[in-house]
Amino acid sequence: MALAKQMISRVTLYRISAALFLLTLWEAAGASGLFFKGVLPSTWFIGKSLIRLSGDPIFWGHFSVTLFEILSGFAIGSLVGIIVGLALGMNRYSGQIFEPVIEYLAATPKVVFLPILLILFGIGVGSKISLAALSCFFPMTLSLAAGVRGMNPMFLRVGQTLNLSLAQRIRMIYLPALVPPISTGLRLGFGIATVGALLSEIKLSNKGLGHAAMQAYARFDIPTMMAILIVIFALAGLGNMLIGSIIRLPGPNTRRLTKETS
Amino acid sequence: MMHDTHSTPTLSIQNVSKHFETGKGTVTAVDHVSLDIQQGEFISIIGPSGCGKSTLMNMIGGLITEYDGSILLDGKPVRGCQPEIGMVFQEESTFPWRTALDNVAFPLEAGGVPKDKRHVRAHELLDLVGLTGFENHFPSELSGGMRQRIAIARTLAFQPRILLMDEPFAALDEQTRLLLGDKVVQIQQKLKQTTLLITHNIAEAVQLSDRVLIMTFRPGRIKRVVEITLPRPRSSEMVGSEKFAAYVAEIWADLRQEASKGLKETEAAAAH
Ligand SMILES: Nc1ncnc2c1ncn2[C@@H]1O[C@H](COP(=O)(O)OP(=O)(O)OP(=O)(O)O)[C@@H](O)[C@H]1O
Ligand SMILES: [Mg+2]
Repeated sequence: MALAKQMISRVTLYRISAALFLLTLWEAAGASGLFFKGVLPSTWFIGKSLIRLSGDPIFWGHFSVTLFEILSGFAIGSLVGIIVGLALGMNRYSGQIFEPVIEYLAATPKVVFLPILLILFGIGVGSKISLAALSCFFPMTLSLAAGVRGMNPMFLRVGQTLNLSLAQRIRMIYLPALVPPISTGLRLGFGIATVGALLSEIKLSNKGLGHAAMQAYARFDIPTMMAILIVIFALAGLGNMLIGSIIRLPGPNTRRLTKETS
Repeated sequence: MMHDTHSTPTLSIQNVSKHFETGKGTVTAVDHVSLDIQQGEFISIIGPSGCGKSTLMNMIGGLITEYDGSILLDGKPVRGCQPEIGMVFQEESTFPWRTALDNVAFPLEAGGVPKDKRHVRAHELLDLVGLTGFENHFPSELSGGMRQRIAIARTLAFQPRILLMDEPFAALDEQTRLLLGDKVVQIQQKLKQTTLLITHNIAEAVQLSDRVLIMTFRPGRIKRVVEITLPRPRSSEMVGSEKFAAYVAEIWADLRQEASKGLKETEAAAAH
């Protein structure tokens, strides 16, 4: 118990010192004069920009557009990814036929699809949502297909002896058994959906955080651009943490169990 | 137990064989096995490891549907899983994401039994296997033997007429095994289920069964059937008796030959 507490506080300590170290490095690099003046603005300016943005309704407009794009793309891509992943894992032939293609596409940066998506869905939120959806579809599909194949076959045998329908097997066996790969797919997917939405905003758009960051860049307002990037990182990190803590297996918390025994 | 020879047996296994095609050729797992089981009978199958016991059970339970010969339930051929037949597997099969209670209630939930009703039933069954007080524990918080008892209770939940159990007590120590054996006898007497138990344990087979089937090492055939005429109800206290010991010795004499055959073959295969 005491050991565990000590461990946690040590980890936190390392994290804080790492953050301080990076901060110092940033300030030192900015002050060193090795870069163009203003490329690495002092964190103090970035902080000031952050505070100014938080009171700016235009910024919140961009923020809500981006959030909407990420969340809808994430929801669509994850849902389709779960369905396709299940189908690929459950059927040996469909897996063998389609998985190499999906694996190949998964490794391709999704921005290459942007021109097609722009033609299909226009320069509004449609193309951003579809790129976010496309981005998080792949990790979810692959994570789930592998998860299905790694499932304990005994679970399915129990279902077989009870003559469960396909819907029952999916609801009562596959989905609960696959909570870990689904959670992994969601967490990976959220980050990638964020990147997808922002990349397409940066490329071509008139709304959203990506657009706002590009505007700031065009004005050479680097502190504001940095502040927007920080908001984006925070959004991705927060989403990841939330998903990790919401989508968990029921049952004993293993970390707590090991703590109690130590 | 008296058998009414004129009635159709509950379960009739006729000339059943199963071959597996493997990379190293054909393995005959079960070879021309025939067996009639009457309603309410308790049968044990005992035989060396790898002789085809699990394969036979999977064919009866409908998990293996490709085989030679036929299996009849009440005189009618069966292929595929039947709601009348319940199986307890050799391998761990509890659902780790469900509590003990919800594991046992699983078949009832699938059958559409409302929550309060299925929980009442699951409570009774957990009580039957001696797990009262562990309703809200997850499998990872229980011992291997407790998990196996959950699997038994889960199979009993949908009240199968025929119970197939594949070494359900293999992971248990001798003492727990004997006490749980008592429990199984009580349950079987109470529910009047036709039971087929696969086991490695001779004492367990003698304690529980009306008939003990001894199987040969590959190919799996029925070598001999031993009728156990010890009076019922039997309990684990009987294990010390002289008659009991005689049965054990008789079965061991037969089994010993097969087991040593099996050992020799595996050693020879290892030497190659
Ligand atoms: N799916 C399969 N494919 C190929 N061979 C198999 C398969 N299932 C079983 N066998 C072979 O059939 C034989 C019988 O296996 P089975 O599992 O029925 O044995 P068992 O009597 O239950 O053994 P144990 O007591 O160790 O559980 C073994 O030689 C095994 O290698
Ligand atoms: Mg076996």
